[in-house]
Amino acid sequence: MDAQPGLDDQYRRSSSWPLFVALGLVISELGVLFGVIPISVGGLVLFIGAIAAAVSEAGYTDRPWRLLAGLGGLLVGVGVLIAVTQASALAPEEVVGVFAKGFAQPPNGVVVRGISIIVAGIAGIVLALVGPQLATTHR
Amino acid sequence: MDLSAQLALTVLMGVFLAAVAMALSRLEDWRTYTPLTSGGGVAGGESGYITREKPLGLTRWLTTVDHKDIGILYGVFAVISFAWGGLAVLLIRTELMTPAMDVLEGLGGEAFYNGLMTSHGITMLFLFGTPVIASLSNYFIPLLIGADDMAFPRINAIAFWLLPPAALLIWAGFFLDPMTGGAIESAQTSWTMYTPLSIMQTNPGVDLFLLGLHLSGVSATLGAINFLVTIFSERNEEVNWANLDIFSWTILTQSALILFAFPLLGSAIVMLLLDRNFATTFFTVQGGSPILWQHLFWFFGHPEVYILVLPPMGVISLIIPKFSGRKLFGFKFVVYSTLAIGVLSFGVWAHHMFTTGIDPRIRLSFMAVSLAIAIPSAVKTFNWITTMWNGDIRLTAPMLFSVGFVSNFIIGGVTGVFLSSIPVDQLLHDTYYVVGHFHYIVMGAIAFAGFAAMYYWYPIVSGRMYQKTLARWHFWTWMIGSNITFFAMLLLGYDGMPRRYATYGDQGAPFSVLIQNLHIIASVGAFIMAIGTIIWLYNFVVSWYEGPAAGPDPWDLREYGMESREFEWHADRLETAITDGGSDDQSDD
Ligand code: HEM
Ligand SMILES: [Cu+2]
Repeated sequence: MDAQPGLDDQYRRSSSWPLFVALGLVISELGVLFGVIPISVGGLVLFIGAIAAAVSEAGYTDRPWRLLAGLGGLLVGVGVLIAVTQASALAPEEVVGVFAKGFAQPPNGVVVRGISIIVAGIAGIVLALVGPQLATTHR
Repeated sequence: MDLSAQLALTVLMGVFLAAVAMALSRLEDWRTYTPLTSGGGVAGGESGYITREKPLGLTRWLTTVDHKDIGILYGVFAVISFAWGGLAVLLIRTELMTPAMDVLEGLGGEAFYNGLMTSHGITMLFLFGTPVIASLSNYFIPLLIGADDMAFPRINAIAFWLLPPAALLIWAGFFLDPMTGGAIESAQTSWTMYTPLSIMQTNPGVDLFLLGLHLSGVSATLGAINFLVTIFSERNEEVNWANLDIFSWTILTQSALILFAFPLLGSAIVMLLLDRNFATTFFTVQGGSPILWQHLFWFFGHPEVYILVLPPMGVISLIIPKFSGRKLFGFKFVVYSTLAIGVLSFGVWAHHMFTTGIDPRIRLSFMAVSLAIAIPSAVKTFNWITTMWNGDIRLTAPMLFSVGFVSNFIIGGVTGVFLSSIPVDQLLHDTYYVVGHFHYIVMGAIAFAGFAAMYYWYPIVSGRMYQKTLARWHFWTWMIGSNITFFAMLLLGYDGMPRRYATYGDQGAPFSVLIQNLHIIASVGAFIMAIGTIIWLYNFVVSWYEGPAAGPDPWDLREYGMESREFEWHADRLETAITDGGSDDQSDD
């Protein structure tokens, strides 16, 4: 994708990404609101992936991968923040232990959503790491 | 949710993402499939890579970042929404012809009525009103200010693509109700989503509805940022603040209003979602209070009505001079009044809350500012009338709709001034008088202006002329229909008919022969407008394919000394198309 000519180079007034940025946002909002982990993870990965690609296509960055990793990091941060609101104190063991509440019976809904956002962030970072390799072997 | 369902969803999501990745790699590798040298010397290439501006077929529409294409997409979307909102209201008006619940009984009775009413309001404001304006501004602002495109073409496309899913979510309850055996229903919160009712309705259809509304707000905000940057920084050197056209001025002001109003709505919706799903208490009686919702909602809501009306005012200020053969009277004051309305509109919101028991001193100040906002509105009205005064008037369809706008706006505005007087409002609040007031404006003025603009610019977008007789039929059905319907509503309000009722003669809604007759009259007007709308749709679709070529100057603007940038652009485009033997920009629109 990167530095390789894509749709945008051939057709000056086309881009593949906006549609997927929009879809990604819609799916992630649905997933996070209803607390359905696979949907929020998939939606968020699509969302940040398409943003990173669109930004680099528009020429604001050379390659999308650093930005994608950054957005992934941001999601991890947001997810941790959300989960930690459910910790009863800011003691280290409480903060680490809070994640267990997401898997308790019944699970704590807020923690579940925090975890889903963290997982999406990690998936984004992984994609940013393997992406460059894939892109070169692919072509 | 149990494990197997989670697993199934994970697999589904994986398949979906894989499909997306495949589609993307097809698109992005397009070049490897299409030899660069093919294309038979199509015009428009700037660098070696670019052989054409856009791919063909469906892909073109899914991937376009061209402001003109996006304008057309917004337009099509707005028409679909208008059809949905229109069909909903025809069912409503049919039901209201009799006092009892009968027509809709089999479809779900009062609950269905409430769902239709909620959907009608939200659809018309957020899925028709805002997008139809975005359609006009996307297509024409760059042409009017001499820009190549919007400042951020991709963000422009993102803003559009958020809307179709938003619409599906807002309407979702209607589709899911039969599919889930009534577990998910359409939202019945009314467009104002007042708490505590909107918290008490546990139906997940309301959550979907709120998400859709949130997304449409994100879309509007993205669009507004784009227009602000475009109008500030993408103008051609010849276009400066002194000669910026009036439509661009109103879009500029509207975008600023959106930027301050919509993020607030978005946050309030998130708070409402939290109240509904996470047991927060922002808007509960024991917590932040339901009145807090009303403050937040109307702090957005009143500016929203001006977000909707300012660009139509700009359209009217643009069109009336063209067919009066005179320059817009007091151009500067029209601009100043636009800016004044923009500022004042944030200081009037509590006129929607006069009967809620808020502090009387607060009410008084809001009454004063509400009365004051009538002044800049009147400045505009007088300027339109003076522009036409002694002019060389040509009653084309766009001009007819513009004159209709002025007439309806006067009635809508005057009734608004009545309502902003506290004692009058205490009698008329939550009656049909309010419904009559704002429909004179949203239908009688805003929709009229939208259609005026569509007729005016149709020759540029389609290259063809519509059938003028049919356009006149459309105008007269609408002018007569809207005045029948909405005047009857004003009278219903005086007669004490409360708004939002599916039935009357019981539960606090009075019955009298007069009330029923007025309801019947209002419904007849609605059906007359429906006929006009069908005429319009037929006319535009048929003329798109078969209308006579419009030529470079369809309105004889040159003869009247009324040249304007977008029609000059249109003439240029026709000329290059002839000398080049047709660029692909021509062949497909
Ligand atoms: C001359 C300026 C205007 C004044 C002074 C005015 C005043 C008012 C007042 C006081 C109300 C509250 C009535 C009540 O609920 O008891 C109201 C309602 C409303 N107005 Fe206006 N108005 C004006 C212009 C407009 C415009 C330009 C629009 C639309 C673009 C508009 C749309 C509405 C709507 C939608 C409502 C009803 C909201 C609801 O309760 O659902 N008004 N107006
Ligand atoms: Cu208001």
